[in-house]
Amino acid sequence: MKFVVSSSVLLKQLSTVNGVIANNPIVPILENFLFQIDQTQLTVTASDLQTVMITTLAVESSDTGAIAIPARLLLDTLRGLPDQPITFKVDRDTFGTEIITENGRYKLSGENPIDFPKVPQVTKSLSVQISADILGAAIANTIFAVSNDDLRPAMTGVYVQLSPEYTNFVATDGHRLIRYKRSDVKSEYDSTMIIPRKALNLLKSSLPSDDTTVTSDFSSSNAFFSFNNIRMICRLIDERFPDYENAIPQNNPNVLTINRSEFLGSLKRISIYSNKTTHQIRLKLAKNDLVISAEDLDYSNEANERLMCDYDGDEMEIGFNAKFMVEMLSNLTSNMISLEMSQPNRAGLIIPADKKADEDILMLVMPVMLNTYA
Amino acid sequence: MNDKAIVHMDLDSFFVGVEQLRDSQLVGKPVIIGGQSDRGVVSACSYEARKFGVRSAMPMKLARQLCPDAIVLRGDYDAYSSYSKMVTDIITENAPVVEKASIDEFYLDMTGMERFFGTWKFATELRQKVIKETGLSISMGLSINKTVSKVATNEIKPAGQLFIETGNERNFLAPLTVSKIPLIGNVTSQTLRNMGVTHVGTLSQMPLKLLEKTFGKIGKTLWERANGIDFSPVIPFHEQKGMSKEMTFQQDTTDVNLLNNLFISMTEQLCYDLRKSGHCTGCISVKVRYSNFDTHTKQLNIPITSADHVLIKASLDLFQKLYDRRLLIRLIGIRFTKLVRALEQLNLFDNSTKVVPLYDAMDRIRDKYGSDAIGRAVRIDKKNKRIS
Repeated sequence: MKFVVSSSVLLKQLSTVNGVIANNPIVPILENFLFQIDQTQLTVTASDLQTVMITTLAVESSDTGAIAIPARLLLDTLRGLPDQPITFKVDRDTFGTEIITENGRYKLSGENPIDFPKVPQVTKSLSVQISADILGAAIANTIFAVSNDDLRPAMTGVYVQLSPEYTNFVATDGHRLIRYKRSDVKSEYDSTMIIPRKALNLLKSSLPSDDTTVTSDFSSSNAFFSFNNIRMICRLIDERFPDYENAIPQNNPNVLTINRSEFLGSLKRISIYSNKTTHQIRLKLAKNDLVISAEDLDYSNEANERLMCDYDGDEMEIGFNAKFMVEMLSNLTSNMISLEMSQPNRAGLIIPADKKADEDILMLVMPVMLNTYA
Repeated sequence: MNDKAIVHMDLDSFFVGVEQLRDSQLVGKPVIIGGQSDRGVVSACSYEARKFGVRSAMPMKLARQLCPDAIVLRGDYDAYSSYSKMVTDIITENAPVVEKASIDEFYLDMTGMERFFGTWKFATELRQKVIKETGLSISMGLSINKTVSKVATNEIKPAGQLFIETGNERNFLAPLTVSKIPLIGNVTSQTLRNMGVTHVGTLSQMPLKLLEKTFGKIGKTLWERANGIDFSPVIPFHEQKGMSKEMTFQQDTTDVNLLNNLFISMTEQLCYDLRKSGHCTGCISVKVRYSNFDTHTKQLNIPITSADHVLIKASLDLFQKLYDRRLLIRLIGIRFTKLVRALEQLNLFDNSTKVVPLYDAMDRIRDKYGSDAIGRAVRIDKKNKRIS
């Protein structure tokens, strides 16, 4: 089996799917790319059993067949080569693979392609068309709040609620929650699923930033995304997402309205003076008056700032993790935001003041319990 | 003058000293402080008791055999820490850089002071001031580094002070036995003895390579210490590394119910201490010692918290994983490490918004009426109808 391909084109495609390959895969075959040649088309598959990414590219060949090639070795070779057509020669019996370039010959031992895990096929599913920039925005707006805690698997992905009227993308780690709602993404009927973080991160980095249509199919156990020459299949997280809707407090009479970038800048400065591991800061609110403060008792560091704002509600003191606040505020683009609160031990809601069409963002952050005595 | 001036101060049999201050009848008598029962250990003893061979960390039973007439006290640790604080206050007020190495030990960095006062004179006056103001006996050593100063203090104890002149460190250390070096414990000194090394002088002349081969990384440090070399700085602030609680049973047990209840009780008490100090923990470990003294520990990293329900669950889980051999247990313990000064981060999906204020309220009751005033029902001792 033999084929000729441009080294730079191959490198580009391989780099896109390489992210799937795990550092220490459960099955050694997963350290390989699966190459499938069908005359002039080469299909490359990378998998970690949970996520599969497939890309296709044009090659010169008259053969059909397959081979699994060690990913690291091949990528390192391609990265070191100047752009040129390169020839792959595969021995079908020994799986030995020879790469012939202008610079020389490289021989590496491939693996039997039969051992490569089968890719799940789309079966009985719900299909949704999403524009790439919308999907990209939905991922970017939620993924940072996804939990890293493997003990709570339901929270290690983004919860997607599809409905005929709108679609919700929800992420939480128990301490904060983001609900990103799009009224321009609709499905035929209601359906929900949890898409794992790794798949979304890979998707985010490979999605084009234009309005290319991404065809998304969802079966009961898998999600399929395809755009341009790339396909991605990921296993859904088979867990119950926590009942987040009931966790969103409804009655929040204390409303702080403030310039987002001023608030963000102040939080960043103050958090330098907070404890380095907990980033805990305190907001002291009175009529149209906000004082942000932090202290690190271990080093006797402390700081406070007074900010211009519009505050309507009871006087109160509430503690937050500044890192959470900074991450959330940095992800927003709105000029003004409002922070709605009820009590110092209840969640605070961050809501952008000016909304874009078809987009609705709600961010919720849990406070830290301030010692009322001590 | 690049040489440093490091003073080491150590209170002489500190716990006993405090007891003697509080009850003058104890002066001049053999006093042992430690657990009352036969299974307890000696945590401190007076110099009179030491004459009989009593040492700290010795089983109480053995100590009683060695010195049957000794007065055994349980010890009042609150009083010890308040006396320790008095001493700390006096020293920190007068010395530029102070490291509190333990409840009764201090390192002072006096480098540069010689230009104004004369280090030895100043240190002597400080020692006299501590003795005069607290009534406790304290010893000290002065040299160019921590190791030599500490050894000097230990040599001159009790109630003495010793100045090792610069350049004289090796001569001072050479005739001492190797176990006098702070780094060298039972195991290391045994290994050295097997190598034929009994005195520091011999150790200091050994090839560095050989020590590194025998002891690994620590070998180089050993050699340095034996030669009176120690560059470790005096660190003025010591972060609290952990909080722990242990319990030795009167009688070894396999009663899982009892053990679980004890873990709940100990964790609850420790959580109160944790919150009171304004900390959260990021790592919990559980220790089990079997009747044959085999000791096993297991630890778990957790998102930082000080909440009872999270930590109790973690400690019980750890214990369940650790205790799989139906053997008699002699001792159990819990330890919180990775302490950070933090307040409790509330969670959306457990009921922490309700429970955390409850802990807050319970803590206030404990502050007012004592730590046993309120607690989980499993802690109630059915016979006495009290929280144990």
